[in-house]
Amino acid sequence: MNTFADRFSTTGALAELRKAQKAADEEEFSDAMWGSEAGFGSLAKGVPTFSVPNIPDPTAFLRLHTDDHADPTCKIKISHGTTTLAFRFQGGVIVAVDSRATAGSYVASGTVKKVIEINPYLLGTMAGGAADCQYWETYLGMHCRLHELRNRERISVSAASKYLSNLVYSYKGMGLSMGTMICGWDKTGPAVFYVDSDGTRLKGDLFSVGSGSTFAYGVLDQGYRWDLTDEEAQELGRRSIYAAGHRDAFSGNTCNLYHVKEDGWKFIGNYDISKMHYDGPGNVLGATGGGYGYELRVEGLSSANPPVAAQA
Amino acid sequence: MPDMVPMSVAQPQERQFNPYSDNGGTILAVAGANFSVIAGDTRQSEGYSIQTRYAPKVFRLTDKAVLAVNGFAADGNMFVKKVKQRLEWYRHAHSKDMPLRAVARLIQSMLYARRFFPYYVYNILGGIEEDGSGAVYSFDPVGSYEREACRAAGAASSLVQPFLDNQIYFKNQTPAPGTSHPAHLALTDVLALVIDSFTSATERHIEVGDGLEMYVVLAKGSPLQGLELVQGVQEMSTTTDGERVFIVRRNLKRD
Amino acid sequence: MFLTRSEYDRGVNTFSPEGRLFQVEYAIEAIKLGSTTIGVRTPEGVVLGVEQRVQSPLLEASSIEKIMEIDRHLGCAMSGLTADARTMIDHARVTSQNHAFTYDEKIKVESVTQAVCDLALRFGESVHDEEAMMSRPFGVALLIAGYDELGPQLYHTDPSGTSVRYDAKAIGSGSEAAQSELQDKWHKQMTLQEARTLTLRVLKQVMEEKLDHHNVQLAQVTPANGFEILDEAALKSTIQLM
Repeated sequence: MNTFADRFSTTGALAELRKAQKAADEEEFSDAMWGSEAGFGSLAKGVPTFSVPNIPDPTAFLRLHTDDHADPTCKIKISHGTTTLAFRFQGGVIVAVDSRATAGSYVASGTVKKVIEINPYLLGTMAGGAADCQYWETYLGMHCRLHELRNRERISVSAASKYLSNLVYSYKGMGLSMGTMICGWDKTGPAVFYVDSDGTRLKGDLFSVGSGSTFAYGVLDQGYRWDLTDEEAQELGRRSIYAAGHRDAFSGNTCNLYHVKEDGWKFIGNYDISKMHYDGPGNVLGATGGGYGYELRVEGLSSANPPVAAQA
Repeated sequence: MPDMVPMSVAQPQERQFNPYSDNGGTILAVAGANFSVIAGDTRQSEGYSIQTRYAPKVFRLTDKAVLAVNGFAADGNMFVKKVKQRLEWYRHAHSKDMPLRAVARLIQSMLYARRFFPYYVYNILGGIEEDGSGAVYSFDPVGSYEREACRAAGAASSLVQPFLDNQIYFKNQTPAPGTSHPAHLALTDVLALVIDSFTSATERHIEVGDGLEMYVVLAKGSPLQGLELVQGVQEMSTTTDGERVFIVRRNLKRD
Repeated sequence: MFLTRSEYDRGVNTFSPEGRLFQVEYAIEAIKLGSTTIGVRTPEGVVLGVEQRVQSPLLEASSIEKIMEIDRHLGCAMSGLTADARTMIDHARVTSQNHAFTYDEKIKVESVTQAVCDLALRFGESVHDEEAMMSRPFGVALLIAGYDELGPQLYHTDPSGTSVRYDAKAIGSGSEAAQSELQDKWHKQMTLQEARTLTLRVLKQVMEEKLDHHNVQLAQVTPANGFEILDEAALKSTIQLM
């Protein structure tokens, strides 16, 4: 008798229950959570979905609690600080990065992988929010693979970078923070694209991103030529990251070096920045021998230990 | 007196939505060749008050995965609950336990789904990989993650991590001529290091103390490696023919 | 016969009094009009083979696509209304990629098959207040081949959303003869090479035209090389071995 009224009333216990049920259903317990799709979670609707606090200005909320540049006392520290670089030359693309992650002034990790292996012939670099870069570049990798299956052809670096740039642009103003270089080799040859969370997308020969980029650019611009040999190019990448690690407090620990050629990328090596300072990168291709450090070049003579002539 | 205006009229009051709190404590995990140790203290505090002396921060997810959570306890407990739910669904859909690296990636997606309303939680996942090796994964609150050999997080992380760097990675130690540092430590050595880390952190950090829970995950078919001699060790695993989980409890100072 | 069916063979989600869903049964009939497709599982990997009916000399045989890649470790061959299969295979591909993204591991063959079957059952269904996304059952059957931690596997799915695992299976117009031939010739310790020649032999028996490298296609899924469609040279040499 009362069923009709119950069904259409907006007040009362049943309606409350229905509302709660609906909210619960819609939030995250859709059919796709179990069964064969086995809970792709936030991906269940095909594209990632995000929970946002139910307040007038969610972006301000996020900034208040997470941005450690604005407020070093905030609780949720997102790792920042970096030096990354990539450049194009006749032998492919060199990608070199440091491995330090800082939260405030604490070195949160010295072993971060800032080169993200999107697939066997595409690399992305990580600057800004570590999670933003890791998550979205992995997501990009999934779409590149789908593109490949659907079109029976590898995606171009240009298309891949544009996909990423459109993606982060749709979240503009929400607080994403990433500055990345998408590097690879396609039908057009070696290619480097700079993409950031503001929506900028630039095609270019040479980029460096992060707090230590100014120091890296100094070395990079001075030594860069298109017709660099593979060995010279690798050495230039290493040397530039060393310079940034040496002068930028937010960069350091080790340098990871990759080389992209026609048949995909290759990991060249991991080099300790302190070791490079004193002993050099070791017996590797392109190394000229000896450490990069200032002390070695002045043969141990500095203001702390002045030459005899200067003492007088 | 023109500038003496009642406060209620003159000053608009700003209210901020602050759903977070910091409940202190510390967690850490160390990976061995064929085992993994995941530990956490049991004190929960807010500000300078101790809310409870026994609030677990380390949880067994499966026989090969143990998760430690630190930060805001309410977020942490809810997060663990949701991870367990997803593991159960996975078990029904694919009729197997989720491998450790899959759990790690799942945790990333779950944390990142809250990118704009983060869980204030630092996670450390420890356990055994499909190839039988011990592994530790550490996460930031929004899901960036990395596999490591050891990691400390939480209130006393900056006290404990440098100690682990020195004792486990042998940072700033030069091996004696003709010798080299071992790639992996023995289980009993790791347990001793973990206990030392927590007793020391208890001495120097006010938010650490009361109790210590250490979970040990052993690879399938691995010998007990001296674990049988550790006092008060308890087995937590569902079977003895797969990976095995043990818990060791110790008291920490309660002042 | 049609008299008894007429009341109940229209609605896709109406059972007949005997407990049958006629539209689903008709969809299964549609597969028997399709070209013959064969799958053979061996301990080394799985072989898929299809007949490509080249109706006209003007038709470009290579444009007929009846074997498709789902992921590196998963392949799929089809028979029936192949247009329907594209929807299903795209769903399988997306599911496989979503799984890899969420869990950093390759999806199990059984799970991806189950995902395809879930989609096959969505006809006549409307979730909440949305419009139904499909108006009729799919008219295509798939052989899904792949490998995972449980080894090489072969699954068959049909329009009713049922999936069954097989050691060797034939679908399409010549399936009855082909299936009994497979039953005779298949054995547990078959090599991949034996499976390839068996597939071709069985296809040859049920094909009306003379079998050559233009009107058949072979593919295999192996742990070493993943999914691969045999190129013309490999196909020719297998035909010669037969």
